[in-house]
Amino acid sequence: MSLVALSELLGATVRDATGTVRGRVREVAVAPQDHPTRVAFLIVRTADGERMLPLESLRSAGAAVRAATDASNWEEFAPSDGVLLLKRDLLDQQIIDVHGRKVVRVNDVDLESTPLNSHLILNVVSVDVGARGAIRRLSKGLVPSFTLRALLERIPPRVIPWQYVDLLETDPARRVKLKIAYEGLAKLHPADIADIVEDLAPAEREAVFETIDEEVAAETLEELDPDVKVAIVESLDKDRAADIVEEMDPDAAADLLGDLQEEHSGQILKEMEPEERQEVTQLLEFGEHTAAGRMTTEYIAVPETAVVDDAIEALKAFEGSREALATIYLLGPGHKLTGAVPLVKIATSSPAIQLSEISEPYVACAPDTPEDEVAALFDKYNLITLAVVDEHGRLAGIITADDVITMLRHG
Amino acid sequence: MKFLPRTWRTRLLLVLAVVGPGFITANVDNDAGGIATYSVAGAQFGYSLLWTMIPITIALVIVQEMSSRMGAVTGKGLSDLIREEFGLRVTFLLMVALVITNFGNIISEFAGVASSFELFGISKYIVVPVAALVVWAIVVHGTYAIVEKVFLSASAFYVAYIVSGVLAHPDWKAAALSTVTRPESAGFRNYGYLSMIITLTGTTIAPWMQFYLQASIVEKGVTVKQYKASRIDVIVGCVFAAVVAWFIVVACAATLHSIGKYNIETGADAAQAFHPLAGDWAYLLFAAGLFNASLFAASILPISTAYAVCEGLGLESGLDKRFEEAPAFYWLYSALIVFGAAVVLVPRLPLFHVMVVSQLVNGILLPFVLIFVLLLINDRELMGSYTNSRWYNVVSWFTVGIMIALTVAMIIAQTRG
Repeated sequence: MSLVALSELLGATVRDATGTVRGRVREVAVAPQDHPTRVAFLIVRTADGERMLPLESLRSAGAAVRAATDASNWEEFAPSDGVLLLKRDLLDQQIIDVHGRKVVRVNDVDLESTPLNSHLILNVVSVDVGARGAIRRLSKGLVPSFTLRALLERIPPRVIPWQYVDLLETDPARRVKLKIAYEGLAKLHPADIADIVEDLAPAEREAVFETIDEEVAAETLEELDPDVKVAIVESLDKDRAADIVEEMDPDAAADLLGDLQEEHSGQILKEMEPEERQEVTQLLEFGEHTAAGRMTTEYIAVPETAVVDDAIEALKAFEGSREALATIYLLGPGHKLTGAVPLVKIATSSPAIQLSEISEPYVACAPDTPEDEVAALFDKYNLITLAVVDEHGRLAGIITADDVITMLRHG
Repeated sequence: MKFLPRTWRTRLLLVLAVVGPGFITANVDNDAGGIATYSVAGAQFGYSLLWTMIPITIALVIVQEMSSRMGAVTGKGLSDLIREEFGLRVTFLLMVALVITNFGNIISEFAGVASSFELFGISKYIVVPVAALVVWAIVVHGTYAIVEKVFLSASAFYVAYIVSGVLAHPDWKAAALSTVTRPESAGFRNYGYLSMIITLTGTTIAPWMQFYLQASIVEKGVTVKQYKASRIDVIVGCVFAAVVAWFIVVACAATLHSIGKYNIETGADAAQAFHPLAGDWAYLLFAAGLFNASLFAASILPISTAYAVCEGLGLESGLDKRFEEAPAFYWLYSALIVFGAAVVLVPRLPLFHVMVVSQLVNGILLPFVLIFVLLLINDRELMGSYTNSRWYNVVSWFTVGIMIALTVAMIIAQTRG
């Protein structure tokens, strides 16, 4: 078992079974549908066109390659979407380092060669993103190979194991064939995904948002810069965009749709489920920089006659953001706000107690309250949530502390 | 109800957001090296180099348009694309050349700063270190966006060259004629004439501009759809820069060349071009303008070089990163400023000469950068339907060919003495 670098393999002379030089290695191909890491064949540039040297007839691989079969047995290479060509698709390209949570550029690819029966197996083990790979490639052919090896051994490697590599592919059909699903990326925290996405080119961002789970996509979208957010949503297919927007918090969704061009937001709204659409359109009616523009309509409210147990049931059924869980609002007849119970009180009271008994004084504001006044209320009363109440005293929505932090930071 | 006002507002914002990178780049282009070169060209050769302005402007528009189109279509920087399409070794060599060339430009910007304060008798040993520190701090502390607006408004100073050019009562007929007539072939055997043509081209179409403009377009998030507005921005910016350049040459030709002052050694010499406009205040006007132009470019060049190099070589980059996260980026950025400023502090350095020579190096590197731009922009896989049209390619390859021919001719002319 030994390591061989892709850059060593590329351009290596290839001898066939008779020992004559037949050509040079031009590409190294992996077929992810057959095996995720194993090299399927080498593309050899011969006097007779480009030929595929199957791994089964590979005797040795390194700065020189030996094959066990005769060149006439190697099939002609026909380009196919389903193979990953390591030089074209990986070398010098950007990839997502899922482990390090950033976008990096590939300097070299490390392959592991293992003898099996009478031939070799080559597996992609890691990509080199550090100085070692760069220096190896820059000095290839200029410095004697033994000097180079000695030099490279002194440089600490910076490699990313292959399982932590997410490739960037903008062609959707090819993404399927190469089995690129951004699984690693999708497991990261949405804020980290957002940082990574901001480092990508628009087409690559689109690729990520077309592929990853809608819920993750929605949470990531909320974390992105407004400009980037708008560009991504406008680039997506309307169906897909609607699916993602539905998963967002209604206030964030309304903000986003408000930033889009009218034709785009209209089309997305049309594709959305009626219930979500209604919530979002309501929010869209209000000015962006007012309490109503910042509020969410996903809150927990129960009738004022309810008991603690009912509140717990409501908590369990609640699908909105975690921040909104902090307060349970009590509603009287006609959706009028009559009280508020902090989550802590629910947890410390016995199940049969009437909620109105443990209700606390609450702070509320009108829908057209400017956002700086909203922030002042949060500051003055040390709020976690703030109720927004219309002129008839009805609960219209709530603002959560995290929205206020965002509001203060981005103006 | 909220939708209605939003549409026109978005449209207006769209135009404002897009009108920018092209105009800024073209303005920064009239930096210390630019002012020095145009002044020297006017003083030394009078109107006889004005014929270069139209072809250079056409080439400038074409080159800048390609860079911004590439940025809008691919969403990637020029050095990223060169790396992805041509590999590490080519990128490395080009980045080395770019660092050397841009380092020359940075020296010339600090020379501009030194030269402008020299007019007031303030020592460069005080001004240059302060300027270096200011530049470093402006960028690292993120106030650049505000400062950019100050610089940009101060660029209105260029109008002073236009006014001064008019007041100098140049020979309009001769100036206009030499702008549109074919040059005499005798000049092309002269080393000074040849190198001045390359220098003029190199200062107007500087290699760093392609990297900077494309990066700015990407940074702004200009997309293919908004691209039309971007093209207008590029054209307006280039034409404005060219008009200013024309008037600098004419002003210097009318005020300096006409009285037999062919050699510009210091800022004081060049400042005389402002005499018709400002009289005894000419020094002040020239110094203020040169200082603004120098500092503007000095705050853009090091950072854009650091970005281009780090992105091309795959090193961590960005001002949002901490020093430990992106050491190469910060080291390169700081070194360019520190050493660029340090070179200017060498005693008795001929500041004006330094500014002009740095632009000659620009002119020599330019065709190589253009070759990459052209290969990339004609790559269908990359650009889709946004590749160059045929006549566009003809003109641009012609520019590359001419630039290489001129460089070769200049080297031959020099070796023959």
